[in-house]
Amino acid sequence: MTASEGLALLLLLAGSGFYFAGTVGLLRFPDAFCRLHALTKADNLGLCLICAGLAVLSADWRIASVLFLIWLLGLLAATVSAHLIARQARQAGADNIDPPEAS
Amino acid sequence: MLGIVLDLVIIASLIALAIQVVSGASLFRGIIHFIVMGLTLALAWARLGAPDLAMAEAAIGAGVTGALMMVAYRRLVEITPDHNPSRTGSRSRLALPIAVGAGGLVGLLGLGATLSDPEPGLAGLAVLEALQDEALGNPITGVLLLYRGLDTLLEIAVLLTAFLAAVAVTRREDLDYSITTRDPHTPLVGALLAIIVPLTVLVSVHLLKAGSHDPGGAFQAGAVLAACGVLLVLTSRVSASSQSRPLIGLGIVAGLISFSLIGLAAMLRGEPPMALPGMWAVYFIETAMMLSIALTLVLLFAGTESLRRNQHG
Amino acid sequence: MDNAALYVLAAAVLFGVGVYGLIVSAHLMRKLFAINIMGNAIFILMVAVAGPIDGAPDPVPQALVLTGIVIAVSATAFALALMVRLYQETGRATLADDNGPGNDD
Repeated sequence: MTASEGLALLLLLAGSGFYFAGTVGLLRFPDAFCRLHALTKADNLGLCLICAGLAVLSADWRIASVLFLIWLLGLLAATVSAHLIARQARQAGADNIDPPEAS
Repeated sequence: MLGIVLDLVIIASLIALAIQVVSGASLFRGIIHFIVMGLTLALAWARLGAPDLAMAEAAIGAGVTGALMMVAYRRLVEITPDHNPSRTGSRSRLALPIAVGAGGLVGLLGLGATLSDPEPGLAGLAVLEALQDEALGNPITGVLLLYRGLDTLLEIAVLLTAFLAAVAVTRREDLDYSITTRDPHTPLVGALLAIIVPLTVLVSVHLLKAGSHDPGGAFQAGAVLAACGVLLVLTSRVSASSQSRPLIGLGIVAGLISFSLIGLAAMLRGEPPMALPGMWAVYFIETAMMLSIALTLVLLFAGTESLRRNQHG
Repeated sequence: MDNAALYVLAAAVLFGVGVYGLIVSAHLMRKLFAINIMGNAIFILMVAVAGPIDGAPDPVPQALVLTGIVIAVSATAFALALMVRLYQETGRATLADDNGPGNDD
């Protein structure tokens, strides 16, 4: 294993760790705001680390720039959707945005 | 070795998600699980060496189907807010044996075909050999347009028929059912659209162009464009309208008409029907099909026959 | 492709789950989920069964499945529209046959 492969492996593992934490938070946290908090923070960092790991692995600046774009778009989509969900949750006044039937 | 583990994880997730979808406690969660299952299936396609299918599955199978189910669910909930259907209907004793038998039949068929017939498909072999001389580097686009052109044409016809039928059974007075956010002036949404919409158009044109030699093509491009349209409907930049517009009608039938006309024109030149005169025809038909697919899917999502543009965009 | 047999088995299980869901579900949207799962199982079967040709995957079943995915979404869209209309007209999203004992919808 070369040094760059080792670095990529490290980045990918770290990224997976953050994704795992974010998902656990999504499943375990009590209300919409806490869940969003877990998702947006942990997953954005996880996506960043995984993109960085793949960029190192590819060793190609074109692929790396496409991965960077993917991360930026992911950030953008996460920001806006988290904002919309939080806004909706606050307007609903409930601490749980699940529909009533989802017990 | 790692590949097999990955396959097993994907397959286990698929089966667990399928069980959740059919037996989950609530309909809403069923839809969510269905979408996740579609995305997992996209991974399975990638593992099976089918990137074209992976893209189509993620965009159409998971994205568009999920969005359509969400809209239908929302309409049910708007009629009865506490719409909470019972999980199961008939508690048939035969259900399990029938399901096991059906699954077993599929498994036997598949295993029989995999284990006993290692010969590659003759049609595929012929396609790959014939396409050596063509400018089409993506054999799937080649099959869709050059060899099974009639199938692809009829598929567009099925999409159009489904759309017309769906519009016919949708009640007129329900066309204005809002599936949009109640407050269209939410901050950040405008900024998101300003970036996402041009990018989506760019990506779909790229997919269309790439489809001639790399994974991609009219279906994937149309699905991406449709996703853009769904976003515009969701943010009420465009909304349902019962007033028919010629341009929209033309867009819906563009794929069918151009494919049919170019395919029939081959007969005038004394060639078999559906024989395409050249690469320009491939690009032309693919573009028209992309527009038709995208427009039809968006209209199906909006549950309407026409769209109008809202001014506050 | 050495994972073909695995995916064939997955298709068989998914098809079974779909058939089971189709039989026991009363709600039409659940029946639609089940039909879509059955369709996906058959798509997997078609692609998994076709062996590779000279290392490249067979394009014919993939093209057929690509067509099938779009047909499936068309049929689903029409079925959903029918279901919503049925619910508007009757207040039920189930079929008459499924309203036997054991169903309180």
